[in-house]
Amino acid sequence: MNNILAGSVIEEENCLTLVELCAASSASEEHVISWVIEGALEPRGDTPEDWQFPGHALRRTRLALSFACNLEINPPGVALALDLLDQIADLKARLRRSGCHSPAGRRL
Amino acid sequence: MKNKDYYQIIGVPRTATQEEIKLAYRKLARKYHPDVSQDADAELRFKEIGEANAVLKDPEKRAAYDLAGDTGQDFQPPPEWGGGFDFGDSGGNSDFIDSLFGRHADRRGQDQHVKVEIALEEAYSGVERSITLRVPAIDEQTGRVAMQERVLNVRIPRGMHAGQHLRLTGQGAPGTGKGAAGNLYLEIAFQAHTRFRAEARDVFMDLPLAPWEAMLGCTLPVDLPEGSVNITIPAGSVAGRQLRLKGRGIPGQPPGDLYAVLSVVQPQAVSEAEIQAYRSMAEAFNRFNPRSAMKENSL
Repeated sequence: MNNILAGSVIEEENCLTLVELCAASSASEEHVISWVIEGALEPRGDTPEDWQFPGHALRRTRLALSFACNLEINPPGVALALDLLDQIADLKARLRRSGCHSPAGRRL
Repeated sequence: MKNKDYYQIIGVPRTATQEEIKLAYRKLARKYHPDVSQDADAELRFKEIGEANAVLKDPEKRAAYDLAGDTGQDFQPPPEWGGGFDFGDSGGNSDFIDSLFGRHADRRGQDQHVKVEIALEEAYSGVERSITLRVPAIDEQTGRVAMQERVLNVRIPRGMHAGQHLRLTGQGAPGTGKGAAGNLYLEIAFQAHTRFRAEARDVFMDLPLAPWEAMLGCTLPVDLPEGSVNITIPAGSVAGRQLRLKGRGIPGQPPGDLYAVLSVVQPQAVSEAEIQAYRSMAEAFNRFNPRSAMKENSL
């Protein structure tokens, strides 16, 4: 098979509906709704039928699913873990920007 | 192929209870979760403990695994036991198994995820990648389910950066009955680079300067991911200053910027002339006290 496949960049598309986000992340609607209630995901729209998730919610949802399934973390815990990871990512980004590098073999 | 010791991977004795296995797995999953751990091989370990847990957490599968070990047979987890795709797909290969047994007719195939590493330079140009997926399929000779390789050639467009997803419609798991195939999502990651660091579309690099280059200013040729440019260092620059090269980051709408983070490297004085140069500096800067702040603080 020599065809070259082209795709679309999710983060540059307008939005994902609840159904699209669930299909793409393998998370159930119940899971996603519980994470929205806890503030871990912040879609536009008032009801689940109207919700529009930004493209970057896909990565966040997969992370939330991994925490829920692998670590058995409940929705408030998932929301807290994601917030803390955001803070860590922000601090690491600041370190990288200022020229601080990770030790060999470690991820920064 | 040598059997993997799932008990050793999880860190429990063969006599461990289901609860002990669950607790040990959860501890390891937290320790090696790729988004939490700083270990370089965290992703590999996480997959390994995931595979071990998929077998040991289920008493039936665990019994089959124990039996294979007792009789000295090779043990290969069937595809439907999980571990065939990337981590995080809690759904496993259930669609495929369902299709074998004729369940859930006309159901859409599952979406799948694969992580793809590209070089930072490739984000500037776009790149073609050959991706090998392991998918369950029926072996025509044996009639048994086995993992088969499927190769896709994919164009990763210019301007994609780490953390973004490329959706390949209809390239995920096949649907059942008349159900459409799922989508395949490629999550982009950057290979570690010795000179550049990326934050979304912005790119950062260190630019070491000699003290006189920083103080007097200069123009330097610098290699960037998409070619060489001349960077003008303003006179009076200090270490830590960031020079922004607008639009020289990863392409996009809008493109990112490239930041040169300045550092000042102090040369070693070895020859008599070099030592003399430092002596002359000491005389010229006789009023300069690098510890003035310490003095103020100590009062």
